[in-house]
Amino acid sequence: MARMLTERRIDWTGIFFAAVLTLVIVFPLIVVGTWAFTNVWRYPSVIPQEFGLKFWNQTLARADVWSSITMSLSLATMVTFLSALICLPAAYAFARLDFPGRNILFFSFLAGHAFPKFGLLVAIAGIFLSLNLIGTFWGVVLIQLVGTLLFMIWIPVAAFQSVDRRMEEAARDVGASPLRVFWSITLPQAGPTIAAAILLSFVGTFYETEGAWLIGAPQIRTLPVLMISFINNQPVIQYGAVLSVLLWIPSFIALLFARRVISSGSFARGFGA
Amino acid sequence: MTTTTAVANDIVGTKRGRWPVGLLLVAAPVFLVGWMIIWPIISAIGRTVWLPNEGGERSFSLETYAFFFSDQYSLNNLWLTLWTTGVCALILILICLPISLYLRFAKGRLAAYVQGLAIFPMFVPSIILSYAIIRVLGPNGTVDLLLNSVGLPKIRSPYLTPWGPVIGLVWDNIPLTVLILLSGLGAVSNQSIEAARDVGAGRWALLWHIILPRISNSVLVAVSFTVLGIFSSFTLPYVLGPAAPEMMGPFMQRTFRDVNDPTMAITQAVIAFGFCIVFGLFYVRSVAKNRAA
Repeated sequence: MARMLTERRIDWTGIFFAAVLTLVIVFPLIVVGTWAFTNVWRYPSVIPQEFGLKFWNQTLARADVWSSITMSLSLATMVTFLSALICLPAAYAFARLDFPGRNILFFSFLAGHAFPKFGLLVAIAGIFLSLNLIGTFWGVVLIQLVGTLLFMIWIPVAAFQSVDRRMEEAARDVGASPLRVFWSITLPQAGPTIAAAILLSFVGTFYETEGAWLIGAPQIRTLPVLMISFINNQPVIQYGAVLSVLLWIPSFIALLFARRVISSGSFARGFGA
Repeated sequence: MTTTTAVANDIVGTKRGRWPVGLLLVAAPVFLVGWMIIWPIISAIGRTVWLPNEGGERSFSLETYAFFFSDQYSLNNLWLTLWTTGVCALILILICLPISLYLRFAKGRLAAYVQGLAIFPMFVPSIILSYAIIRVLGPNGTVDLLLNSVGLPKIRSPYLTPWGPVIGLVWDNIPLTVLILLSGLGAVSNQSIEAARDVGAGRWALLWHIILPRISNSVLVAVSFTVLGIFSSFTLPYVLGPAAPEMMGPFMQRTFRDVNDPTMAITQAVIAFGFCIVFGLFYVRSVAKNRAA
């Protein structure tokens, strides 16, 4: 009887939140999605007069769209590669080795988060000015690389720390070399979390707009930077809508693979909760 | 006793032997932090108080700061930034606290759906969000279409007014605020709530006397995170906000690139650091404390 009562009680609060959040969060994105597949939509019609892929062909025929897709992908790949190259060994050292100043160096990666980000970017740009790095590919790589450090060190450190040490020691006891132990025991256990960190840093770099705009513009034009100029100067609404859909793809991939990591408590704790 | 000491010595010895290896492995990222975060901040302060005069010699001067705080346009921008940050922080707490409270105590599919939606904005880049807001709330946007179809007048669009960035920034910051508050609410035990209920505490008494005191730290962390993020946000205010006054982010960018006055832009950055330093230190301290525990 009691169970039936609880089952019958309607969760009005939940329905309210679900309805409001659907309206506020999903609805605007559906509008953008609709625009992307619209050939004609004139005011004041509530639904488009003509659906179609006309503007996909036109958008994808633009040279600036392709050059910025290439630019964004090569920037994100280069930054993620360099970040993995320098951060993963460092993460291993923080997790396993002892050296002077280990704690203070570990927490030094938080320094970037104690300051308002754009202010810090302007301060860095001031230094890049004298190094002639403004408007160059490597200037943008450097500034985006700094943005990935915290994630690419803290998440893998946690991954290395959670590896079962007894298995490693057992492998050493039966004569496996340190490299072999790392390859066959440590990496497979820490691998999935490290892969998530790499994915997040790729996607984060792909969408990084402020550094690219401040340091790279106008020579280095990434997809988000192109999108800003479409919003400001492009009278054809559909170009922006098609680009939004294209731009969302990496996020969608991250959504598929990294949602579980983000929903877990450890992720929020990384933000100081 | 002697064997223990010998073993201990041995361990210390091996560790000593690995010191250079450890330092070598962390050298590259630590160098980047020093060169690209610590040094720019020191250099920014140095460059703005140690100005060159006509002869090219540098001497101590607070001229650029004096200019900022006497220039009405700069002050308007600073005021708009403070207003936007305050309003966003307040709205975020008012929206996210009820959502997190609901998620903490609700179970089932509906709660999972609400949580999924609350976290979803994390997977929408702010540039797509800006575009969506313009399409929905902008002139002749979807809201206008719908109002028009039922014979109501158009809205006064928030696009290109101070409310445009507020809407965008709140939308963008919902996921992390909810996650931080939820994580704080996880520390409130069911027993303490049931005990309070048993002695007849009502909903509001429960919230005020039992729950809020326990999550006050999480609320402060959420507020600090929001303030740090919003104070110098760039993309959303640049795309959605008014041209003048503008928020500090677009203002710094314009001073640096368009006006081509790096010293003044860096002065503005240092002023932004000054306004956020308390929140920054508090935020970093809480993250470090959590991580160490």
